[in-house]
Amino acid sequence: MDISLNPGTEDLIAVRCCDVTKTYGSGTAKVSALRGINLDVYRGELLMLVGPSGCGKTTLISIISAILQQDAGRCEVLGRDLTTLEQEEKDQFRGASIGFVFQVFNLFPALTALENVAVPLLIKGVAYKSSLAQAQTLLDSVGLASRADAFPGQLSGGQQQRVAIARALVHNPELIVCDEPTSSLDHKTGHEMMNLLGDIAHRSDKTLIIVTHDNRILEFADRIAHMEDGRITDIGTGKARGQLL
Amino acid sequence: MFYVALKMLMGDRAKYLGLLLGISFTAFLVTFAGCYFAGFMTRGFALISENSSADVWVMNPAVDSAALTTNMPDSALQRVRSVEGVQHAVPLMLGDVDVHFPNGRFQSFQVIGVDNATLAGAPFLVNGASPEVLRAPDAVIVDAGGTSGKLQTPLRKIDQWPHDGVHLDVPTRELMPGDELLANGRRIVVEGRSKTIPRFPPRPLLYTTYSNAARILPAAMNLLTFVMVSRQPGISAHQLAQRIEQRTGLRARTTDDFKKDTVRWYLINSEDVGDIVTMLVLAMTVGFGVTGVMLYMFTYENLRQYAVLKAMGTSRRTLLSMIFFQASVCAFLGAGIGIGLCALIGAGAATIDFPFRMMWFTPLLGVLGVLIISLAAALISIRPVLTLEPGVVFSGR
Repeated sequence: MDISLNPGTEDLIAVRCCDVTKTYGSGTAKVSALRGINLDVYRGELLMLVGPSGCGKTTLISIISAILQQDAGRCEVLGRDLTTLEQEEKDQFRGASIGFVFQVFNLFPALTALENVAVPLLIKGVAYKSSLAQAQTLLDSVGLASRADAFPGQLSGGQQQRVAIARALVHNPELIVCDEPTSSLDHKTGHEMMNLLGDIAHRSDKTLIIVTHDNRILEFADRIAHMEDGRITDIGTGKARGQLL
Repeated sequence: MFYVALKMLMGDRAKYLGLLLGISFTAFLVTFAGCYFAGFMTRGFALISENSSADVWVMNPAVDSAALTTNMPDSALQRVRSVEGVQHAVPLMLGDVDVHFPNGRFQSFQVIGVDNATLAGAPFLVNGASPEVLRAPDAVIVDAGGTSGKLQTPLRKIDQWPHDGVHLDVPTRELMPGDELLANGRRIVVEGRSKTIPRFPPRPLLYTTYSNAARILPAAMNLLTFVMVSRQPGISAHQLAQRIEQRTGLRARTTDDFKKDTVRWYLINSEDVGDIVTMLVLAMTVGFGVTGVMLYMFTYENLRQYAVLKAMGTSRRTLLSMIFFQASVCAFLGAGIGIGLCALIGAGAATIDFPFRMMWFTPLLGVLGVLIISLAAALISIRPVLTLEPGVVFSGR
């Protein structure tokens, strides 16, 4: 299936995957996780990746995030061809241009909410005090200014995910990759989270790629890519897709 | 990122304290072992330490330790005295004798015969009295020499020199001035007790004059064990030792060199030292193993956090720095606590005659030992972090 963009819209592309394949293991244990993925994601777009477990969603976002290396095909993210980057360049690229929101939040239990938010800035080498000042602004914007000194264990699931979102945004990345961001949250909190993410994406022209199993949030997507058995089988608008599922 | 590393390290208080405790224990063990060993070795050259006024020790060329008593002819003393640069030289005789106690018990003593004229080498008594008491006929000063219960004599008159065999299991008391004993069949009279540096191996000591020592020790052609030499101003101890060797053909060593020789001799020849070292090495290995495993486990349990950092763009170099920083912090804190504890316990132990001596190299040994094992553990911990796939932070991985 050819899902490439129309000619003349290249400047609007944040992510472009062409015939990306990825295989795990070898011999009889060989598993094809991706079997020729073609996908364009626009700047400022909120794209959701859906599909059954084991269909390759996580592998795809790992490749887009420069965490995994594909076996074949090309993957351009924010104008950089990831196959040409050295490991150190990939680390720098991730640190500067990609924000992550994880399913299980993955906050550092020993750091306060404020310090957790500041981590991406510390990785970039920003001074500690300056990092905290910027982190405080982000924490304010997700409505957790009063819980800055709380440790993750003292926060509710929703609050932890807000901290994770603030952490994903604090270094002003162009691409945000979210992995099941609402699966650990109740319906109401999940909706609040998606409102927050959608608002941020549209307001600041950031690209969001969200892997989800949660049908209740599909309405927030601009487009939804359906994956099955290592391939994108269908792609459509959020609302339409939500009705289909 | 060092701040994050520090917070990660100290975040789980229980785990952190456990880690610190393990490292402190290892540092304590290593330092204490070093101090214990140094304590034993100090006791090994106690004779040399006691006679600190001697600049050079002269001995039979076959002797390379204060523990050996291969003697020289008495003429050696005059030959040494004739060497230019010698201020004065005094004889010292060492030998072993079985002493017959009044109840029939025999006890082996080391006899230390000191210069008749100057009494150089004789200790002060426990009550502070001068060793001049040795000038009395058959007089000896007894010393426990690091032993306990070896200087017990029968309390009751009825158990002393009995005619009906030995009286071993009878009430006893410590030897005191006026007590008479038989050394090699010769009468000796206890004139006092001293408390010098305990010996290694522990053995009771009999201090007496050179002539009295010659009387009570088994007959031998040569009796002179050492000549203790003081140098004249203007010549160093090394120069004098060299000159004595050249002129007399005897072995001459400065005090420091003779101590080193003695330590080396014990290390090579004493099976006791070998056993002690083996035990200590085993104990240290266990301590090191515990520390290493705990540090490794700590890093391993935090793998997910490292994966998150890696996913967020932390470079390999930064991750390595964080792990080594954590290991170093643990090592230095643990070493500080362990060595401090060792000094406290050692100070207490030394008051009860425990062979403990904290020399300059023992705390260094503790710090270095713990640092090496911590860094080695960090080095082993690096592999899973470096090979860690940051994708594990995603769902279902």
